Amino acid sequence: MNVAGMLRRDGIAQHLAPNALAIALAIIVVVFAVSEPAFLTSGNLIGIVRQVAIIGIMATCMTFVIMTGGVDLSVGPVLALSGLASYFALQAGMPLPVVILAGLAVGALVGLVNGLIVAFLQLPPIIVTLAMLSIVRGTALIVGGPEQHLIRNEPAYSFIGTGTLMGLPFSIYIFAAVALLMILVQRRTPLGLLVAAIGDNERAAYLSGHRIRLTKTLVYVICGAGAALAGIIQSSQVHTALATYGPFGTELDVIAAVVLGGTSIMGGNGSVARTLLGVFFLGVVNNGMNILNVPIDIQLIAKGAIIVVALALAARRA
Amino acid sequence: MKIRFSSAALLLFFAVTLAFFSVSAPRFATASTVENLMSGYAFVAILAMGQAWPILVRGIDLSIGAIVGLVGMIVFDLSLIFSVPGYVILPLALLAGALAGALNGVLIVYLHLQPFIATLATLAAYRGLTYSISGRQLVPGLTTTPIRDPWITGIETYFDLGGSIGLSRLINMPWFPLSFFIMLAVFALLQVLLLATRFGRDTCATGGNAEAARLAGIRVGAVTIAAYAISGICAAIAALIMVARFTTATEALGSGAELTAIAAAVIGGVSLAGGVGSMFGPAIGAFLLGAILIGLTLQGVPQFVQQIITGVILLAAVGYDRLLVLRRQRKLETAATGAGR
Repeated sequence: MNVAGMLRRDGIAQHLAPNALAIALAIIVVVFAVSEPAFLTSGNLIGIVRQVAIIGIMATCMTFVIMTGGVDLSVGPVLALSGLASYFALQAGMPLPVVILAGLAVGALVGLVNGLIVAFLQLPPIIVTLAMLSIVRGTALIVGGPEQHLIRNEPAYSFIGTGTLMGLPFSIYIFAAVALLMILVQRRTPLGLLVAAIGDNERAAYLSGHRIRLTKTLVYVICGAGAALAGIIQSSQVHTALATYGPFGTELDVIAAVVLGGTSIMGGNGSVARTLLGVFFLGVVNNGMNILNVPIDIQLIAKGAIIVVALALAARRA
Repeated sequence: MKIRFSSAALLLFFAVTLAFFSVSAPRFATASTVENLMSGYAFVAILAMGQAWPILVRGIDLSIGAIVGLVGMIVFDLSLIFSVPGYVILPLALLAGALAGALNGVLIVYLHLQPFIATLATLAAYRGLTYSISGRQLVPGLTTTPIRDPWITGIETYFDLGGSIGLSRLINMPWFPLSFFIMLAVFALLQVLLLATRFGRDTCATGGNAEAARLAGIRVGAVTIAAYAISGICAAIAALIMVARFTTATEALGSGAELTAIAAAVIGGVSLAGGVGSMFGPAIGAFLLGAILIGLTLQGVPQFVQQIITGVILLAAVGYDRLLVLRRQRKLETAATGAGR
């Protein structure tokens, strides 16, 4: 093979590699659109965004955690607990802002505990958040019991998950706002820089005099708050708070979206914007397979295969 | 090869826990508690000993719960749909577990995936496969048909050892479940494998420092794949025990088992930093977890609180592990500075 040919091929590959996920997303959209016309209707497309809003909010908020070399497995139960906290605040007759704050505070608090243990005691994040998964789920079950708590006659609260604004579901606006906020935090604030620095080389960032522990704690607080917001939207959407919401597997979907977006699970490289791409990729795959009536078992296998292929390609690139 | 000095500490803690509940919980110090502990946690101990191998090579296996489900469904199908005799099913089940585990290893070694991600993906894939081969969906009439093959249901046998040696006349002795003896056999086998074979030493070397192990001529890739295969085989054994107990398999069999297994392994002193651990620790860790949960149940503590306590125990165990690592580092540092002077 001649040198020019190799150069040209490498040039194309280098050009394509960073956009591989976007290209893959475009390809599957075309495939689904051709095989099922119902896919490309505006109703279905809006439905996809609405469906991914909950996972999407959690994924954008977990991106920083994974960029610092951590992971948060406790987001599922946090989602349930924050829904319950909001429900009880509603029952107590609190005004809406207080209700939302109560839910968010629960998530931020769990995140704070996660962050403090990971950052200051330097215990492995997988195990810490695994333990927290158990602890928070147990707490949710004690607080809420096994029964469903119906949220009735609360139009303001129900608007969060079911209302529409200018023809679009309100939850989409929340998702967009969170995504925009996190992208701005990453690109325009010291926190975004610090997160990247820690992921790149924690020791170097520490020696440069940065507040590593504070930053690491903060990213878990953000992640917890994000899961709590998702819990508020979920409970509002289904008019119910339940201790078993966010079942085992929720955290895996969230992590899958983040790593599909190209954030390394070892920390370092990553971007909130590309996490969004991962979220939409998984959302479109799920939706398309549902429309095409692919059974749930094949969907699970496909999801596993997609993660493996995407990451194997990423590993080869690196 | 390092063995944790904490083995003794763990055993002591186990004894203290037993003593505590014997005093504080009604009906804890009885034959039936011992029997519950042996039958309810033998398979957890097997899963934990299996999980220790991926952790020893500095990985983790999140897919064991899904492998339990998959192997359980394979046994269900072979026995009820294809009427395969039990003595053929048993080796096939172990083979299926080994293959599922080895695939994890292959993804990690050849595709350079992080163990956490690779086994996360196979967790989804194996669970999906379980649904798609589910005899409950394929042949609707089978949902209520129990598995009657004596080779499989025979795993759920209890031996009246106390009665046979005449001890039962003196004190009330528990009946010993066969699953407990299977656990002992797995323990003996894996302990020998870890301590007395080249493969065991290679495993610890790989987990301690993969690059150094590779330069020393150890086939790091093969060792890693084998470690995950062992984890898969242990999951298959656990699946057989569970299927024998329920005389059926469901699609959700074993879901969440990875959490308990990882907890028991970490409590048992298998270091997440890799290269350090024993088989004794995870087994005791599993029974310690079991004793605490059974004790709390007898004390009337609701199950939800037990979930919280399990989490707290896991945190304490990993905190203790961290403490040991720090102490070892400090010792090394003082040794180094001492030599410098």
